[in-house]
Amino acid sequence: MTTRDRLVLIGLGALAMLAAVYLLVVSPERKQASSLNAQVAAASAQLASAEGQVASARADQTRYASAYASIVSLGKAVPAGEEVPSLIYQLAQASNQKHVDFTSISTGATAGASPGATVSAPAVGVASAGFTQMPFTFVFNGSFSDLYHLFQQMNRFTTRTTSGGLQVSGRLLTIQSTKLSPSASATATGAHPTEHLTGTITATAYVLPATQGLTGGATAASPTGTATTPVSGAASTGSPSAPPAIARVAP
Amino acid sequence: MRAVNLIPSESRSGAGPGVGRSGGGAYAVLAVLGGLVILALLYGIAHHQISSRRAQAASLTARAQSAQAQAAQLAPYTSFTALRQQRLQAVSDLVDARFDWAHAFHELGRVLPRDASITSLDGTIGPTSGASASAPPASAAASHPAAAGSSSSAASASPASAGAGAGATATSATPPGSVPTFTLSGCATSQQEVALTLQRLRLIDGVSEVTLQSSTKSATSASSAASAGGSGNCKGNQPVFTVQITFDPLPSSSTIGSTTKLTAQKGAGG
Repeated sequence: MTTRDRLVLIGLGALAMLAAVYLLVVSPERKQASSLNAQVAAASAQLASAEGQVASARADQTRYASAYASIVSLGKAVPAGEEVPSLIYQLAQASNQKHVDFTSISTGATAGASPGATVSAPAVGVASAGFTQMPFTFVFNGSFSDLYHLFQQMNRFTTRTTSGGLQVSGRLLTIQSTKLSPSASATATGAHPTEHLTGTITATAYVLPATQGLTGGATAASPTGTATTPVSGAASTGSPSAPPAIARVAP
Repeated sequence: MRAVNLIPSESRSGAGPGVGRSGGGAYAVLAVLGGLVILALLYGIAHHQISSRRAQAASLTARAQSAQAQAAQLAPYTSFTALRQQRLQAVSDLVDARFDWAHAFHELGRVLPRDASITSLDGTIGPTSGASASAPPASAAASHPAAAGSSSSAASASPASAGAGAGATATSATPPGSVPTFTLSGCATSQQEVALTLQRLRLIDGVSEVTLQSSTKSATSASSAASAGGSGNCKGNQPVFTVQITFDPLPSSSTIGSTTKLTAQKGAGG
């Protein structure tokens, strides 16, 4: 073996030893460092997501009072119960304003034009989920113009504003059919028949499902119905100062 | 005297100038040491990265868990906001799905000729566009609401107390695609006036079709008008007509737009 051969062998041995050290000691450590990089990235993403949720929740907490007022106001349009008395009150008030005689109201959908028609359909059409439909039949007496204004008024109970918002001042009604015919009283008294009409309106009101309350158990102070500990000082504004809202429209 | 080389002859040619007595082994040892130093440096860097990133990951995880706990504590607010949004959307959809009866009556009064009069009006909103033109209006009015009530299929709604997903969606009593139909009975001074009435009724906003069902001028027209649900206002020599007006189907709420902003208005009746 010459000296050159010995040198080559020594060099190869040194390289082999260095490679072994790298593969057995350094490389696993570097791999672990790389995997920890991924863990850090995942934790950062998780943190960002959680902080986003917190920010959104805090914004919701800040807006809780207005959201509560909104949902209570929506309860005027679609109450939690049937609220027939308030519906009658609203219709009577609207018909008085429009000089229309509010003759009768009957639950269920009836075709009869005569006042006080009998109930011929279930009082409440229960949907499997969502709002429950409540068909009604109303009979009004008045002129064509007055009945037209009454229709307008009924639409305005719950209507869209010009800006696209929703304005709620009363029960949401969907009119399904209307029958206008000369009033029997006008015919009897000899008045001009077209000046006094009987309007029979079949409309549907809506009720929240029985499984839901108006506010889902929330109160003006807290969405859980009990006082909650504020998470932070900035987030605790609003809800405790929310005024109690009145959902029912009643005389 | 002659110099004599005592190095064996086989060793004379392979020996370099820097090899020295170790035969190059010293260089190899130095190279190995240098390599080990570099590897130790790499190991140290990696180890430092591991420890620092472990601490960073632990810190981030702790902060994330804290934030998640805060979010969980505030979850009822989020759920309530979602409930409010869903209910607002449902009410908005119902509002948008309504037929504007007042506008239709306004239009009817606007286009009706002076020499024609309406003795009765029967308006219904049929479930499909293929509503029979000859169907008696009264029966349609009687059957449709019940049908609407029984066929109502609303989307999911869960208990409001559950928070998210507890909103209410609803199927309107007049769902999109329903076709409003008016059946008018009345009389005119002449058959030409009936024709003019048909033309004018087509000018009503949103009307898709105006169909004449009958226009009869006879000595018994007054009684026939009365029997048709009209009045005795028509004179005997006047044609008594029955016209069906079909409106465009009700649009879906998605075509109307759903910018929903609630303006709370206190008080009732407006």
